Amino acid sequence: MKNLKLSAPPMLAAASVALFCASTALADDAPNNSLRLGSYSVFYHTSADDISGPYVPPGVNLQAENLTTLYAAYVRRLWSRFDVELALGYPPLAKIKGLGPTTVGSVPYNNVEVSSARWISPTLLLEYRFLSEDCAWQPFIGVGVNYTTFYDRTTTAAGNAAFGGPTRLSLTASVGPAATIGVGYHVSGPWHAYASYSIAQVKSDLTANTAGVVRTTNISFGPQTLIFSLGYSF
Amino acid sequence: MIKILKRSAILLAASLLAACGGSASSTTATVSVSTTPGTLSVNPPFRIASLDAATLQAALGATAAGVQLLQLTGNPVCGVDFYYLKFMTVGGAREMTQSSGALMVPTGAAPTCSGPLPIVEYAHGTWTNQASNIADITDPSNTEGALIAAMFAAQGYIVVAPNYAGYDISTLGYHPYLDAGQQSGEMMDILAAARTALPNTFTHTTVGNGKLFLAGYDEGGHVAMATLRALEAAGDPVTAAAPMSGPYALEAFGDAVFFGKVNLGSTVFAPLLANSYEHAYSNINNDPAGPIFSSAYPNAQAQLPSTTPIDTLFAENLLPLTALFNSTTPVVSIPTQPGLSAFLTAALAVPPIDPNNPLNPTNLWHAGFGNPYLINNNYRVGYAVDAAMHPDGAVPAPQPGVPLAMTKPAQGLRQNFYLNDLRNGPWAPTVPTLMCGGSLDPTVYFSVNTGTMAAFWKADPYVLPALDVDPHPPSAPAGLFAPIQVAFQTSQAQLFAFYQTPAGGGLSPAAAQQKIVEGYHVAVSPFCTLAARSFFSQF
Repeated sequence: MKNLKLSAPPMLAAASVALFCASTALADDAPNNSLRLGSYSVFYHTSADDISGPYVPPGVNLQAENLTTLYAAYVRRLWSRFDVELALGYPPLAKIKGLGPTTVGSVPYNNVEVSSARWISPTLLLEYRFLSEDCAWQPFIGVGVNYTTFYDRTTTAAGNAAFGGPTRLSLTASVGPAATIGVGYHVSGPWHAYASYSIAQVKSDLTANTAGVVRTTNISFGPQTLIFSLGYSF
Repeated sequence: MIKILKRSAILLAASLLAACGGSASSTTATVSVSTTPGTLSVNPPFRIASLDAATLQAALGATAAGVQLLQLTGNPVCGVDFYYLKFMTVGGAREMTQSSGALMVPTGAAPTCSGPLPIVEYAHGTWTNQASNIADITDPSNTEGALIAAMFAAQGYIVVAPNYAGYDISTLGYHPYLDAGQQSGEMMDILAAARTALPNTFTHTTVGNGKLFLAGYDEGGHVAMATLRALEAAGDPVTAAAPMSGPYALEAFGDAVFFGKVNLGSTVFAPLLANSYEHAYSNINNDPAGPIFSSAYPNAQAQLPSTTPIDTLFAENLLPLTALFNSTTPVVSIPTQPGLSAFLTAALAVPPIDPNNPLNPTNLWHAGFGNPYLINNNYRVGYAVDAAMHPDGAVPAPQPGVPLAMTKPAQGLRQNFYLNDLRNGPWAPTVPTLMCGGSLDPTVYFSVNTGTMAAFWKADPYVLPALDVDPHPPSAPAGLFAPIQVAFQTSQAQLFAFYQTPAGGGLSPAAAQQKIVEGYHVAVSPFCTLAARSFFSQF
C-alpha cells in the first residue's frame, strides 16, 4: 500500500501527459509557420486628461467604445517552445464618445459619439509555450511591443457641434509594451484553435483643430483584447 | 509552403498599405490667405458657444447683474450661437492687419429666431484690456457681449461686433482709437466678413433680411456714427442708427477737457488717443511745445491697451489715476497779446472744489489735476492757444449752429480732433438716427457731445430728438421713452440706497454719491441700448 501511495502522483501525471501529448517523434515534425484568423474583441479602458484649450469648460473628456474586428496573425517557431507572433487586426473603426458634462453650452456631449478613427495596431510578441509541441493543449504567454497608428480620423456632426465647427483631429502614433496569455488546442492535422487575452499600452496625444482653435488631450486607450482564432500550420 | 508564406506576407503588407494609403484626415475650416479688407479669414468661423434660450436665461439669471439685465431685456426668445470672426482690415496708418469680433446668430424654433433676420452692428466702448474678446461669452468679464446678446441676439437680431484692431488676436500693436476713417472701415469690413460667414454657420438659413441697424456705446457711439456716414457714402443701405454716449464732437470735447473740465477716465483716454493719432498722423510726438506726456510717465503712450490690468498700471504708477494735468497752473505769455494771455491763464486754472455741493462737477474736474501729472503744461498751453486761434463753435460758449473751427487747427492733437469730429464735412444722417445718453455723464459729456450734435443737426428730419435717460428738472421723463427714463432714475436711486446699507458697504451719502458718479457712464449703457432696440423695432 505504501508503495502504491507513493507511486500514485507519477502515475496520474503520466496519464495526464498521455491524454494531451503525443510522442516526441510527432513533435519533431511540427511545422515552423502558422497563420491564424479569428475575432478580435477590444475592451478599452480609456483614461484621458480633460480636454484643454480655448473655450473648453472643465471636465470635458473622451472615451472609446469597445469593438470587435477581424484578427490575423503570422506565427513563426523560433526554437522549441518559443514562437514569435505578428498580430494584426482588420483596421477597426474606433468610435470616440464624449465623457463629461451632459451638454457643452446647450450642445449634447456626454455619451454622444463625437468622432471616429481607424487604427492599425500590429503587435510583435515573443511567446513561450509551457508544454512540448506534441501536446494537444498549448498554454502560452508572451511579451512584446505594440505599434498603433490612427487614420481616417473624422468628427461626427454631433462632434462638430460640440467642438464649435468642422474639426480636424490628429492622433500621434503609439509604441508601447504588450503582453498576452492564452492557450492553443490541436484540432486536427495542421489546424489549431486558440484563445488568448492580451493587454497593450496605447497612448496618444490628440489634437483637435476647429477653425484654428486648437484643443488637446492625452489619451491612454488601455486596450484589453480577447481573441478566438483558428490557426493553420505549415 | 513558400507560396503560402509569401501570400500571407503580401496580405499583411496590403493591410498595412491600406492603412497608410487611407490616411485621410477630417476637415476643418478654410483659411483664407487674402489680405483684402473684409475677407473672412476662417470660414466657417469658430462657434465659441451655443446656448439655447433657456440656458442663456439660466446663465444670466445666475448673477445679480444678469438678473437686472434680464429685467431690462426681457427673457430670451431665441437661443444664441456665438461665433468668433477673424477678418482682414486696415490699421490707422493704412497697414494691412487682421482683426476679430463676434457674430451672434439667433437660434430656436420661434419664428423670429431663424430665416432672414435683421442685423444689428454694434461698436463697443473703450477697453483697456488688450485680450478682450466680445465673442467670448464664456468670459464672465465680457459684460458688453452679454448685454448685446441678451438685448439683441436673444430677441431675434443677428449681431455683428468687432473687437477692434489692436485687441485680441490683432498684432497691430496699437489701437486706432477714435480714428473715424479706420474704425468705420473696420466696421464695414467685419460686416462684409459676417455676411460671408452667415450661410456657412450651423444655422445656414439664418441670414440678413436686408435691414441693417447700427449701434454703439462710448467709443462705439463715435464709431457707430462714423460708420453710418461711411456706409451712406458707400451706398450700403442702413435702416436706422442709435449712437449712444459717444464723443462725437471731438474738437469741442477736447477743448472742454483741456480748459479744465477733466472727465472721468481721461488718464486712460489720453494715452489711447496719443498712440492712435501718432500712428495715423505722426503729429503727436514732434509737437513744437515738446512732449505731450510728462517725464513721470515716460511710457504712457504705449501703455494701452494692455494685458496688464488697468488697476495694476495705476498701482505701479505707470499711469496716474486721475491727474491728467499739472496742478500748477501754467502762465500763458503770448507776445503782443497780453489780453489773450491773461484770458488763457485764467481759463487753464484748476477748477475749485465745492465742499458744500458734492454733486458740483467742479469737484470731479478738480481731481483731474495733481502732481505727478500726465500731460505737460507746455503741451496744454499749445493746445489752448490753438483753441483760441481756431475756436470751436460749441465750447466754451455754444455759437449758433455749434460749428467746428472755421479753419483747420494747427496744433497736432487738436487738428486730429477736428478731423475726427463728426461735424467735419457736409454729411448729416439720411436714415432715422437716435442719439442717447445720460445728462450727468462724467465720462463722455452729454451736452458737449450729444447736445452739440443734436444742435448741429437740428434741421435734419432724420435725427430724432436726443434721448437723455436721466432728465432733470425742469425736464421730466416724457414721451415714448419715459418708462426707460423712469427705470434708469429708479435704478440709480436704488443703487444709492444700496451703497448705504451694510451689504453695499455702509457708505456715507457723499461716498455713495461718489460711487454713483464713478459708475454712471456704464450704468447708462443698458438703458440706452434698450431704447435703441425699442427704436429699431419700429422698422
